[in-house]
Amino acid sequence: MLRMLVCIAIASLLAAAASSADRGRAAVIYDGVSTEVTASSEPTKDLWVTMQDLKRATGFVVKPQGVCRDELCFPLPAKRKAEFISKRGAVTWFNLTAFAALVKQPVARDVKNGVWYFGKREDERGGYLASLEAPDFTLPDINGKTHSLRDYRGKKVLLITWASW
Amino acid sequence: MPGWQTFYHDLNDKNFEIISIAQDTGGAKDAAPWITAAKPDYTALIDDKHLVTQLYNMVNVPTAVWINEKGMIVRPNEVAYVDNRYKAMHGIDAGPYLDAIRDWVANGDRSVFVMNEQEVKERLKPPSPERSMADAEFGLAEYLHKNGKSEDAIGHFKEAQRLDPDNWNYKRQAWALSDAEKNYGTSFMKEVQKLNGKPYYAPRKLPDAKKQPK
Repeated sequence: MLRMLVCIAIASLLAAAASSADRGRAAVIYDGVSTEVTASSEPTKDLWVTMQDLKRATGFVVKPQGVCRDELCFPLPAKRKAEFISKRGAVTWFNLTAFAALVKQPVARDVKNGVWYFGKREDERGGYLASLEAPDFTLPDINGKTHSLRDYRGKKVLLITWASW
Repeated sequence: MPGWQTFYHDLNDKNFEIISIAQDTGGAKDAAPWITAAKPDYTALIDDKHLVTQLYNMVNVPTAVWINEKGMIVRPNEVAYVDNRYKAMHGIDAGPYLDAIRDWVANGDRSVFVMNEQEVKERLKPPSPERSMADAEFGLAEYLHKNGKSEDAIGHFKEAQRLDPDNWNYKRQAWALSDAEKNYGTSFMKEVQKLNGKPYYAPRKLPDAKKQPK
């Protein structure tokens, strides 16, 4: 009987550990790059990440003036800071999905695989419509050599998309 | 692609470049055989994340943009066939468009086919919130597909298609990555038939070529 109880206890512990591990991992795709992060295991529809993972996955850091990357800074609304930052024990968490809503960034989520895809922020979308400067890109040719549109300044460029499908 | 190689070769203008970009989630695996066969002298790139489709708010292929020497858009997104192989399907005659490009290469910003800023702005539209969300769903679906989760990708491809229903790139790419009949209950040919002759490209509007250069 005792042995059976011990077995049940061990099995329960293993199951709990596995479940916690599942809840605690997530893949964040930001600017097209995937990063494994530790996600808060609090039951929530939001994605809370540690400050270290925020920097690793997005390049953004929280500063007194806002959430910043290089020259770019998004101030957090003073009265709503608790929606974005939460200290639990020794760890400070950042709500990446609330931040996405703040900067009008679409987020697509696959619950089964724990993947969060962050799309283009409002400030990145359609910025060329005012200047009419063709948006730049860098892509490889079949040999893997990369080419950027800006390399062709001084020439007329006919940009054509096609596909094999 | 062989058609564009002939066109480019015949123009032979050192101040004119074609940059062709394959919108293929499968990357080089799917696009490279076509490029290798066409042997292009122009720049042929591979875009396995449909980045250019998203950056330029495109919805179909082939789509072309004219960019002048200063890097400015002088004719935005429009259908760009190099020959009439599929004319029976879409009804677009390639000839006038190729003549327009020749005129632009010869006359530069003085070409009647070059639009002024106002005309370009009237044709360009900012991406809708639904389009932006569709781009994110499509990006997630591509990620899952490339990471061995093709079955899980299908729901997100469908969501992208629902959010941006006129985006043929998002439909045809997704259908091509799996058994379209089984997983999406349709096919490109079936969808074209459903249109019953209604065009699936935005109509091309070229000015009268006989007008004098500006």
